[in-house]
Amino acid sequence: MDAILTVDGVSKRFGGLMALSDVSFAVERGAITGLIGPNGAGKTTMFNCVAGIYTPTDGRILFADGVGEPLNVAGRKPERMTALGVARTFQNIRLFSALTVLDNVRIARHCRTSANFFGSVLRTPSQRAEERAIIDAAMENLDFVGLGETALSPAASLSYGDQRRLEIARALATDPRLILLDEPAAGMNPRETEALVDLIHAILGRGVTVVLIEHDMKLVMRICKRLVVLDHGIKIADGSPQEVRANPDVIEAYLGKGAAHA
Amino acid sequence: MLEQQLVNGFTLGLIYALIAVGYTMVYGVIELINFAHGEIYMLGAFLTLSFISMGLPLPLAVLLAMLAAAAIGVLLDIIAYRPLREAPRLAALITAIGMSIFLQNLAMIIWGSRPLPFPKQALPAFFSEPALTFSDVTISWMQVIIYAVALLLMVGLNLIITRTRVGTAMRALAQNQTAAALMGINVNRVISFTFALGSAMGAMAGIMVSMYYNTMYPTMGYLAGVKAFAAAVLGGIGSVPGAMLGGVVLGIAETLGAGYVSSPYRDGVAYAVMILVIIFRPSGLLGRAVTEKA
Amino acid sequence: MRGAAHTLKYLLLAAALAYPLLPFRDVYVLHVLVLIMVYMVLAMGLNILPGFCGLLDLGFVGFYGIGAYTAGLLTIHYNMSFWLIVPLAVLNGALFGVLLGAPTLRLVGDYFAIVTFGFSELVVLFLTNEIWLTRGPLGIPGIAPISLDVTWLATLLGVDERWRYAFRGEVPYYYLAMVMVALVFLVMTRVEDSRLGRAWLAIREDPMAAASCGVNLFAYKVIAFAVSTGIGALAGAFLARWTLFISPDMFKFWESFLVLCMVVLGGLGNIRGALVGSAILIALGEVLRVALPKLGLPAETRFLAYGLIMVVIMRFRPHGLFTQVAESTMQSGLIKDLRARIAARRTA
Ligand SMILES: Nc1ncnc2c1ncn2[C@@H]1O[C@H](COP(=O)(O)OP(=O)(O)OP(=O)(O)O)[C@@H](O)[C@H]1O
Ligand SMILES: [Mg+2]
Repeated sequence: MDAILTVDGVSKRFGGLMALSDVSFAVERGAITGLIGPNGAGKTTMFNCVAGIYTPTDGRILFADGVGEPLNVAGRKPERMTALGVARTFQNIRLFSALTVLDNVRIARHCRTSANFFGSVLRTPSQRAEERAIIDAAMENLDFVGLGETALSPAASLSYGDQRRLEIARALATDPRLILLDEPAAGMNPRETEALVDLIHAILGRGVTVVLIEHDMKLVMRICKRLVVLDHGIKIADGSPQEVRANPDVIEAYLGKGAAHA
Repeated sequence: MLEQQLVNGFTLGLIYALIAVGYTMVYGVIELINFAHGEIYMLGAFLTLSFISMGLPLPLAVLLAMLAAAAIGVLLDIIAYRPLREAPRLAALITAIGMSIFLQNLAMIIWGSRPLPFPKQALPAFFSEPALTFSDVTISWMQVIIYAVALLLMVGLNLIITRTRVGTAMRALAQNQTAAALMGINVNRVISFTFALGSAMGAMAGIMVSMYYNTMYPTMGYLAGVKAFAAAVLGGIGSVPGAMLGGVVLGIAETLGAGYVSSPYRDGVAYAVMILVIIFRPSGLLGRAVTEKA
Repeated sequence: MRGAAHTLKYLLLAAALAYPLLPFRDVYVLHVLVLIMVYMVLAMGLNILPGFCGLLDLGFVGFYGIGAYTAGLLTIHYNMSFWLIVPLAVLNGALFGVLLGAPTLRLVGDYFAIVTFGFSELVVLFLTNEIWLTRGPLGIPGIAPISLDVTWLATLLGVDERWRYAFRGEVPYYYLAMVMVALVFLVMTRVEDSRLGRAWLAIREDPMAAASCGVNLFAYKVIAFAVSTGIGALAGAFLARWTLFISPDMFKFWESFLVLCMVVLGGLGNIRGALVGSAILIALGEVLRVALPKLGLPAETRFLAYGLIMVVIMRFRPHGLFTQVAESTMQSGLIKDLRARIAARRTA
């Protein structure tokens, strides 16, 4: 398997709580991987470790951009992970709500642009060209998720489903190779969820690898090529949706003790 | 010389500690730097003065002043801060500073801007006499009284916080406001109680300082308030035992700093402590470390 | 409606430009107007921190003081030209900003506010006690006014004379202050509508999301602090060469509070609001100073009223007058083009 991301023995401790203990799995390049598990299993914590928000207490996180050697990126700052090509969305939407839809996405071009204070004040030709390119890239991503026409509205005025899509557009605008989606379908109606499925496939079509946390099992089983199951910070299963669905540990984790044998 | 300075510094430190617990408790429950707390301390002194000039005996005047200060603290919260609980934090902070300016200038209008002495005739004569003398260290009766009162109040405060229902509620609130409200705690009542407790202790500090130095003036709350706040930061903002310890440490550090390092920079000790503690140990001596949640 | 607002704006500007030349001009009014403009610069500078980055700064005046003393001392000891002093004072302010910001800007919440407060009080203490350098509480009197040496112009024109214009009275300061406000305003609006300004606003709105968009939080906060303190020092340099006297009293906490109130009253993050907030609060201060004694009230009531008014404003308008952020962004040509493009797409 050509792994874009390899999580190797990662643990994360919060005080006395092991949110992740010795978790290992690999994410296949160019596929959709699902990260599932009951509430509090440590899924978001895993994303935060990969995205650089948290430094793992232990273990390695290898990121292979497909060109050079895989790099151990555990403990890198979030902005450096973004620059490397790892983007993410948040479970509890984190938009820049006082700003416009466009500005939310324009900010995401930060790590791919370079104008500084002096360039901004003097409005040098290169700064102006860059600003134009930023708008073009932002609009391209907004159109990609279907929000192009709302570009100049306040982000806070979007519907819940649109806010989730705006987060995706923002993440995509950083030009990632790997995108981490934390419960993108949460709070969406069935029609919005369908559109989301198409969107995720389109993201894949752009050559971006997708990892997805999702509680909607039907959705997960349908679109993921591989699943990783966490429970209480421990990886309990890993494999194709069919394999995982048949795994007694998984059934037990979701339905409680004894369920697997009933 | 050193011993005498330790004694004086300890006295000053207990005063800071009494004020600091007010800052730290209020910060604990509503995360507001209550800038007007220094003015409550100042009002404690002036109210005592007024009650004495009405002819009340000293103990009664002190008690009434503490009660009045507690009431002012509660009113301050209800009138000024409570309407802003949902507003941006800066609005509450500006309100706190605005109230501090308001109260300070109100005091100037009522009592004049010049320093007033504490009414000597109201104090028993032995107060200024030495209570204990070892070789070259003297501890005056006034200092003994400050020790006794401060320790009594702090022990009492600790009992209230750890042993009573309202104290438990205060601690619950400091942990998590929404959870506390869900558990059926009347949040506003507990906050009022916190203000009352902190204000009464701050007022007592003001009263004792005005006796100790035999002076009071409307702007006295600013510097004392800032220093007590530094003490609260040093102890770990939000931690009551921390505020007490921070006050004592700061009082001693300040007195020693003034004596051995540089006396013009005496007040700078508090500012330097504020900055250094925050840079090197933001959780203070006894506070919890702050973590950000994703 | 928009057109009327624009016309009004230009009329006001024309009136402001013409006022000092009119026969009924009043020195006191001119003085107050210059003061307002000094505070406008301060408010625009401070606005960067709580307004753009969400950082609470309670010690802004410390950097104002650093700028003023840098200018005052360089004038007194080296008789340096104002035009040379300005960049030096700005750099000095920014330098202290970075020195203070670098170890503290990683802190969250009120910790940063407390550090800035402590620092600015230490500045005042330093200015008061280092008498060898600052003359202490006596302050520095007799600072030379600004002068403009345009001998080069004379040389250019082939005139063999020394052309020198010394600022006297309020009028030249008034125009210089206008230039200063206009320049700082231009810088701030351009920065607001740029990669830098967007990064700052992202930090204010949600630091974690900003970091995930690739913004190095620490670096951008340090830049914000340096720009902000530099602008504070600029105002200080102007003050020193305008009032011709500076003393530590002029840089006490009260001033930081005043500037913060201007920014919050105007609306956090709104540059125009910072200007309006400064005008309102300085004018209010002057009105109270003149009016209250006439009503037979003691002088202290001025501050009492001031404190109370701030409390009332916060009670009823906690978000300030203008709540819009990134206003200049919406007015930029690129965005206007985009708006037209989107509209065309909608109709198509
Ligand atoms: N910053 C933190 N400090 C302390 N504990 C934390 C922190 N972040 C997460 N936890 C704890 O770690 C555990 C795993 O949390 P996490 O958010 O990763 O779960 P999750 O699998 O994403 O759950 P959900 O499906 O509810 O989103 C939980 O018990 C949570 O309370
Ligand atoms: Mg989660």
